Amino acid sequence: MGTLNIMVGQEQGNVPVTVLRVEGDIDASTHTILEEKGSEVIAAGASNILLDLSGVHYMGSAGFRAIHAITNMLDNSESVGIAKSKHLKLFNPSDEVSRVIKTLGFDSFLDIYRDRDEAVNSF
Amino acid sequence: MSAKQGFDLSVEASLENLHQVRDYIDRAGESFGVDSNVLADLRLVVDEAVTNVILHGYDGRSGQVELHMERDGDAVIIRIRDQAESFDASHVNAPQLDTSLADRPFGGMGLFLIKKLTDEAEFLSLPGGGNELKLVKRRAIP
Repeated sequence: MGTLNIMVGQEQGNVPVTVLRVEGDIDASTHTILEEKGSEVIAAGASNILLDLSGVHYMGSAGFRAIHAITNMLDNSESVGIAKSKHLKLFNPSDEVSRVIKTLGFDSFLDIYRDRDEAVNSF
Repeated sequence: MSAKQGFDLSVEASLENLHQVRDYIDRAGESFGVDSNVLADLRLVVDEAVTNVILHGYDGRSGQVELHMERDGDAVIIRIRDQAESFDASHVNAPQLDTSLADRPFGGMGLFLIKKLTDEAEFLSLPGGGNELKLVKRRAIP
């Protein structure tokens, strides 16, 4: 069975940022783990999330479904039209995951960072 | 299945087996010498296709998914077979890639990836029941 582990951390930039460090494969059998963790931290007060994908070996469209759901929870009361999410950003996806992001067009809607400090301070 | 030399895998149609399917693609692809970027695309495409079989084809019912991967020159051919209800790919909507994330409905991305990342994707209804998806990726092996 595929595995997915998510560690929650906090960083302080211009605003508090909740960092979800994900490790493993995000596929149709594990994507709900990510979505539920996102829901959990949002319920606990998180309003800005940095998704650290450094440890993600594989992500399919189910992973984007989870990210989509989390952005809906965060951005629901805001942005109209085609705009990048202000409250969820991605950090350090692998080359393979980056390819999928680009293929699906998610790079048009999500900021992606390679420098962690820059990512945290971007919120 | 084809008599050509290749690699076969048969798994129970369960999401818990998706990692096994991806591992199979990796091992077979590495054995054939498939380009690493192409192999990453094939891994994704096959994962998406098998996910669709499990979720939409069998729809919770038990069944098997059979895969066969072979080399044909510098091309790779992958066949995915199931015994589920006949599938009509023309009824699946393409994902709305140019709309805001907040406005997109869920779903549709799997089939989009399959068609975008392979040179041929052919859905067949099998005479005895079930479906076969044939995927072809040319110039996969340097």
